Amino acid sequence: MLASKSLDTDLLHSEKKTLLRFSALYILLSIVIIWAFSFMYYESQKGLMLQEKKVILQEYSKKLIGELKHLHINFDKTQIYPRSDKFNSAIFDSDQKLIFQTSKTELDLNKILYLKNDTIHLINIPESYYLGAQFIIVKMKDDGMWLKDVTKKIVSFTVLAFIFMLVIGYILLRLFLKPMRDAIHLLDRFIKDTTHELNTPVSTIVTNIEMIDRSSLDKNLVKKINRIDIGAKTISNIYQDLTYLTLGNKIISNDEDLDVAHIILERIDYFKSLADAKRVTLNADIIENSILHIDKAKFSKLLDNLISNAIKYNNIDGFIKITLAKQKIVVEDNGIGIEKENISKMQDRYARFNNSSGGFGIGLNIVSSIAKEYNLKIDINSQIRVGTKVSISW
Amino acid sequence: MVKIILLVLLFASSLLSANIYETNCIKCHKKIPVSIDKYFYRYLLTYSSENNVKTAMINYMQNPSKKDTVMPNAFISRFGIKKKTTLKESELREAIDFYWEKYKVFGKLK
Repeated sequence: MLASKSLDTDLLHSEKKTLLRFSALYILLSIVIIWAFSFMYYESQKGLMLQEKKVILQEYSKKLIGELKHLHINFDKTQIYPRSDKFNSAIFDSDQKLIFQTSKTELDLNKILYLKNDTIHLINIPESYYLGAQFIIVKMKDDGMWLKDVTKKIVSFTVLAFIFMLVIGYILLRLFLKPMRDAIHLLDRFIKDTTHELNTPVSTIVTNIEMIDRSSLDKNLVKKINRIDIGAKTISNIYQDLTYLTLGNKIISNDEDLDVAHIILERIDYFKSLADAKRVTLNADIIENSILHIDKAKFSKLLDNLISNAIKYNNIDGFIKITLAKQKIVVEDNGIGIEKENISKMQDRYARFNNSSGGFGIGLNIVSSIAKEYNLKIDINSQIRVGTKVSISW
Repeated sequence: MVKIILLVLLFASSLLSANIYETNCIKCHKKIPVSIDKYFYRYLLTYSSENNVKTAMINYMQNPSKKDTVMPNAFISRFGIKKKTTLKESELREAIDFYWEKYKVFGKLK
């Protein structure tokens, strides 16, 4: 997500999902690797500490065996078990039955030297079983110094390793994104170049048609000029969309309080000739007057795309109803509609689900980005062969 | 009443064991200048647990041999190998159980 933003790449929904999955998997893998290394380090340090303590415990054990031997020989005279303030001990017979212990001890015969409950245990099996003791356990308290040191090192290692893995991950992500980014840049560049070339001829056509006084012309010629007008407006619309698409993010907004009803009527008038050509009825139902603080050009672009889509994907003799309710605009048509599973993808750039009409699949992407900029909520309902209803609310 | 009978039986059995031990073990060992507890600690030194010690003692009593003795060579040279026991296995077990209870280490260490 962060990488995609810094790379200035407009990633589609499914690609963002893939990137998120990749990032999650990568982070999980990094955590597992770091944990495994930390665990191995902890185990090796514990082993080292135990080996160091083993020497001391062996000394204690040797001393205890000597004292047990003495006690064994003189058991008829004394029965006092040898004790030390440096270590605790316990003796078990060959059936692992406890003979005596100086503190509570559990025999674990799977190990000779082990750390349990902060106590280091050493099990010794003497050559002769004094007092019947086959297993002699000597144990001492672990001071935990080694653990503090190991914890400190593991924390530092984890932080450094995680940062390192993140850097590697970021580099991998960039490599992973490169082909996708290149493809999108190529398309953007192509559109930019095309729009640049379209600018002058489109402006010339539109301006000159507007300058023609149609009242002085004969009916046939007016018809022809109307067709040229429709064609020019279609091109102009596409041109504006492409311009917005390539420069959209860099256009500085000039927000003002707009009379929404006025703009709707203005745009309906603009699209009238286009709708007439397809014999589509354009109806406006202004229930309430509404003011919206927005950039006029952007709001017009939003409406233009909704209306032009409603015309484009409508049937001959169809209808379009534009309703302005309280804080809500609804553009409704009885056109070809769209499948339910495609509705969520409609706002993706270059997403097209019908090839019978022209277009680049950028209209709703522009609507979506303008709506996002002004916190407008888009709600799309559509049914195949019934129609589409797009609501914009704020 | 049942309790009293059981206690009486237990006491009687203990007296019987003591009797077997005294008559059959102490009687002979008294003749040797090595106190009987020394044999016990020799067994403990080699066989460790109660089960192992008792099994080794029974085996030795039934089949005494130089190979199986726990006593040192000097002792054997001087006193020789004991005679095979004439006790029935059940009597032998009773005597050895009494011997174990008398000299065992469990519960005596302080």
